Amino acid sequence: MEVVDHETPSLENGKTDKEVEENANVLQFMDSMDAYLTLIHSLSSTLRRGWLELASARHSMGASRVNTVLLDHTSHPAATSLLVTQDEGKVDSGKPHFTLCKWASSSNENSLFGEKQSSQDKLHPQLRHRGSTELYEEKTSSENKASREVDDPVQKERSKSLSMFGTLVSPKLRAAQLSFEAALETLVEIANMRSEMLCAFDQVNMKLAGRKDEK
Amino acid sequence: MDTVVGFLMAGVGNVDLRRKTNYLIVDSKTTVKQIEDTFKEFTTREDIAVVLISQYVANMIRFLVDSYNKPVPAILEIPSKDHPYDPAHDSVLSRVKYLFSAESVASGRR
Repeated sequence: MEVVDHETPSLENGKTDKEVEENANVLQFMDSMDAYLTLIHSLSSTLRRGWLELASARHSMGASRVNTVLLDHTSHPAATSLLVTQDEGKVDSGKPHFTLCKWASSSNENSLFGEKQSSQDKLHPQLRHRGSTELYEEKTSSENKASREVDDPVQKERSKSLSMFGTLVSPKLRAAQLSFEAALETLVEIANMRSEMLCAFDQVNMKLAGRKDEK
Repeated sequence: MDTVVGFLMAGVGNVDLRRKTNYLIVDSKTTVKQIEDTFKEFTTREDIAVVLISQYVANMIRFLVDSYNKPVPAILEIPSKDHPYDPAHDSVLSRVKYLFSAESVASGRR
């Protein structure tokens, strides 16, 4: 007569499902911590590049022209912002997800929509057997036009941001601006990795606390 | 100061109608109280999702930064020009490093 024990959890390579899940949580925590530290290291080098370029710009333009005294204190919204959403999949996860919206002021909304349209067109190309070359050329020129239309408002916003330092600015100052933009992108990745790390940490902590209670 | 100027060039600066900014430049004249008040203000504003703070400045208000535990706004400690980043002082890493302490490992093995 066979006795089947339905309470024993299924075994996978000698480990229970619970142990496999715990190992996965620990691995996720370690991976996210490693990624967090790597991103911080990347941020440090990007910032160093930005500071050096800013110092070069200050050297060429003069300290009085690259100064906090010149900062714009009139009322204006931030041209670059963050979109915060809840993590999908788990309703009560509480894990926020950050998305950077660079140079996305209200005047750029139309151009950004145009960029989305052109990217959607790339995903769904039109098929034609006759005159396909002409169609390809038309699509290429319209895509180029769309990308130029998107870039112009972005360039305008960038120039507007630098206008507090004067009309003609050093190329080093523009380079510094791009470096700090890159730093912003890294920071958003760091913020997301931080959320993942803390979420994985909470799960590992819960399992440890559960184990202590059992004992 | 250069860090703030750099990020303002990247477009994150906001000044509202009351001329209140979403940044604080910390210099030799800035008091710890001002930094604390600004930190409390930024962490309670609904239009701020991420707070960037130089680790050097964060160390001045370490107790306040370490006791903050909300998911949003996220507090990110960043290096400054004169003070490199030290993972030992990072508030997020300090929170999780206890998992690697001898005490937590020993208690799990009992």
